[in-house]
Order: sequence, then structure tokens, then C-alpha cells
Amino acid sequence: MKSPLSIAVLAGVALACSAAQADTGKLLLTGGVSTIAGSAGGGLTPWAVIGSNATEGEVGVSAYATRAATQDYSLNGYGVALGLHDRLELSLARQDFDASPAIALNGIAPFGVTPGQHIKMDVLGIKLKVAGDAVLNSDSWMPQIAVGLEHKQVHPGSIRSVLDFLGTKTSGTDVYVSATKLLLAQSVLVNGTLRYTNANQNGLLGFGSAAPGKNGRSLQPEFSVAYLINKNLAVGAEYRFKPNNLQALGAAAGLGAALREDDWKDIFVAWAPSKNVSLTLAYVDLGRIVPGITNNRRQTGYYLSAQVAF
Amino acid sequence: MTHSKTLIALAVSLGGLLAAPAFAQTAAAPVANTAAPVAPAGLYQALGEKPGITRLVDDFVNRVVKDPRIGSHFKDTKPAALKESLTDQFCQLSGGPCKYEGADMKSAHADMDINKGHFNALVEVLQSAMDAQGIPFAQQNRLLALLAPMHRDVITKH
Repeated sequence: MKSPLSIAVLAGVALACSAAQADTGKLLLTGGVSTIAGSAGGGLTPWAVIGSNATEGEVGVSAYATRAATQDYSLNGYGVALGLHDRLELSLARQDFDASPAIALNGIAPFGVTPGQHIKMDVLGIKLKVAGDAVLNSDSWMPQIAVGLEHKQVHPGSIRSVLDFLGTKTSGTDVYVSATKLLLAQSVLVNGTLRYTNANQNGLLGFGSAAPGKNGRSLQPEFSVAYLINKNLAVGAEYRFKPNNLQALGAAAGLGAALREDDWKDIFVAWAPSKNVSLTLAYVDLGRIVPGITNNRRQTGYYLSAQVAF
Repeated sequence: MTHSKTLIALAVSLGGLLAAPAFAQTAAAPVANTAAPVAPAGLYQALGEKPGITRLVDDFVNRVVKDPRIGSHFKDTKPAALKESLTDQFCQLSGGPCKYEGADMKSAHADMDINKGHFNALVEVLQSAMDAQGIPFAQQNRLLALLAPMHRDVITKH
């Protein structure tokens, strides 16, 4: 699975670079930055903007690398996005989650989790702008609206036995609708996204749950707000509700809240020194992630992402 | 817990759907009915009043005609006339005692083959010109918010 993805990524980059025009014309930061799932938006939640620097009549491409680390876990991610005519966005992302604390699960049952196990996940994203213009329609409240899909495939390695035990699937698809509006006179950007999902921890712990956990999808809202300090610099915050599908299953198995999942939030600063480069630094609070093996700690830490866009 | 969350989500999205068109109508109505929207308080002063706007527009037009992306659109335009007309327009929009008497935006740009990339380039040149005049970023955006909706008339090529 790994090499077909790498080939696809390379082919995508090569295709996109040759297709991308030398002179693409989006305004600075109005393509957003890359989310952890590869689509354009804030760090944790997609926006209705279409990634890359391409505006109408242009084709653009962006690529990013991200690292986030909390008390017990870390995540590396990278990916590419192709922006077509500021209308359609295709994205491909790979996440590599260091799930080393999962070794403790062997104490609950003979799961055979190996030391230092990572969970990898591929995300294929499609986003279509359906209405509005987030930036230029400053005399109206009408936002830019987009619909999107994130198809995720998890490669859990030796943790597969745990996911099987929990009754979670290793692939799933989120669908979402986003509305983004730049309140230009106030230098404020707001975004609301409504996601229909059954992903556990964004999919890293699979999708759905055996009964009495929640197996089906539910609607989860996500919000971002950003203030533009100057052309090159924005600060903001995000809040992403999460479904907590697994807690009831854990409780029924006598593990209390060991499988609890919390909402995600962050405060960020995004800096675009030029049209082609942006850096995002955030403080993230991912709540508890399998608190039963991490002494019930909240997972807080940093998030750093670099993006190039053409 | 889950139900209340879903309810919040629905309320927010429904509120957005209902409120957005209503706000759009009330916000757009004055623009459609009268020539100029209400100018934001203090913007004319922030731009340095007539002398400041004159300096800004002078530099802006000088930059525009030299810009490799959009300069060629202005090769048949007399810079002096453009400067005079833009000064009046910015002055009036920002709440100054001027009257823009030039052509409306649609007929002024009808034959210019302007796409969104060109429009965004124009915005960037204006931002650079405002930076050069030391106009604070928040005030720049208040002026841009008055100009940006003109994209509907200025962009002729989609």
C-alpha cells in the first residue's frame, strides 16, 4: 500500500507542477493553509476555500508537512493538494501517528501490540465550491460554501487486533459542508463546518464501534475564527466537536472512561512571508486520547506546519 | 450530550442559512438603491483626507501601469485622468467631500478582458501603495471592503 501511494503522490505533484501556471493570482492567505487531512482550511478543520494559489481560470498546487506532538503521542503528516479554477480541490495526505503507549493494551488482553507501533492513515479529499466568494463580496453576508469528502484508509499494523476487538472499521468516509466568510472591513475570517462522520480520533482509531458504542455517523460542527494582523500574519482559534463513539463500549467492558474521546481545539498563528510559503504554529488541546493507557492525561502540545503553494 | 451537540449544530447551520440571505438583502439594498454605500466613520481621515488620497492614488496608478500582470490593460488610459477620477472615487467612498463623476464601473471596464487574477493583482498593487503611504492594515481593509464588491462589474472574463 505504501508504494502505490508514494507513486500516486509523486505523479500528482509532477502533474500538478506541470499544469500549474507560473503566475497564479489568489490573494495572500486566502487559500487557507493545509489541514491535517490535506484539504485547505485551518489546521484541524477544512474551510470552504479552494487550496493553492490558483484563482479562476488557473490551476495550482500546494504541498505541506506537519508535525504535532503532545504528552504521549505525536503525529507527522504530509500531502499535496491540487486547486482547479478556484472551484475544485483534490487532496492526498498521509498521517503517521506514533501510538507507542498502545503497548499497555497488552496488559488488558493478549493483543500482541508491538513496541513503538505507529498507525498510518491515507486521506483522499475532494472539495467543490458551490456558492459565494469568501473574500470579495464584502457588501453581503453571503459566505463561500463548499461541500467536501474525506475518504480515509487506516494502516494500524499490530494494533489491528485492538481495532478488530473494538469492532471499528479501517476505512471510512467523512462528508462535510463548510461556509467561510472574510469580514474584510473588520479583518476577521470566520468558518463553520458541519461534518457527518463516524471516525474515532479523526480515523486513526478506525471508524464506528461495536455495540454498545456508536457505530453510525453523526453530525459534528467545527468552527474557526481568524484575525488578520497584516497581509502576512493571521492569528486565530479553532474548535472541533468529536463523536466519542467508543466510550460506551469501553464502559460496558468494565474499563470506565478508558476509551473516551474529547473535542479538539487550538489557537494558531499563520505567517505567509511570501505568496508561495506559509508557516503555521499552534497550541493544540486534543483532550483525552485513549485515557486508559495515558493516566487520563489531556493531550496538549504544539502543531507546526509548513506549506508551499503555487 | 450528543443530542444537545447535534441540536447546537443544527441551530447554528439553520441560523446561518436563514440569517445569511436576510442580512445579504439588508446589506445589499442600500448599495443597489443609491450610488454609494454609507462610508465607514473615520476612514477619510485615516487615509489622510484629500491630500493623502491624492498621494496614494498618484503612487497607485504609477505602480499599476508598470505592473507586468496588469499594466497592459492601461496602455490606452491617460494616467492623469485616471488619477483624478480615482481620487474622487476613493474620496467619496471613504466619506470625503468629493463627487465621483466618472463612468460607472461596468462600462468603464467592459472592453478590458479582466479576469479574477487581474483583479486580485490590482488589489495587491493597491495594498502595496497603501503600505507605502503608511496606512494601517485595518484601515486598508476598510477601504478594500468598499472596493472589492466592484469585482462584479470589473471582472468581465470568467
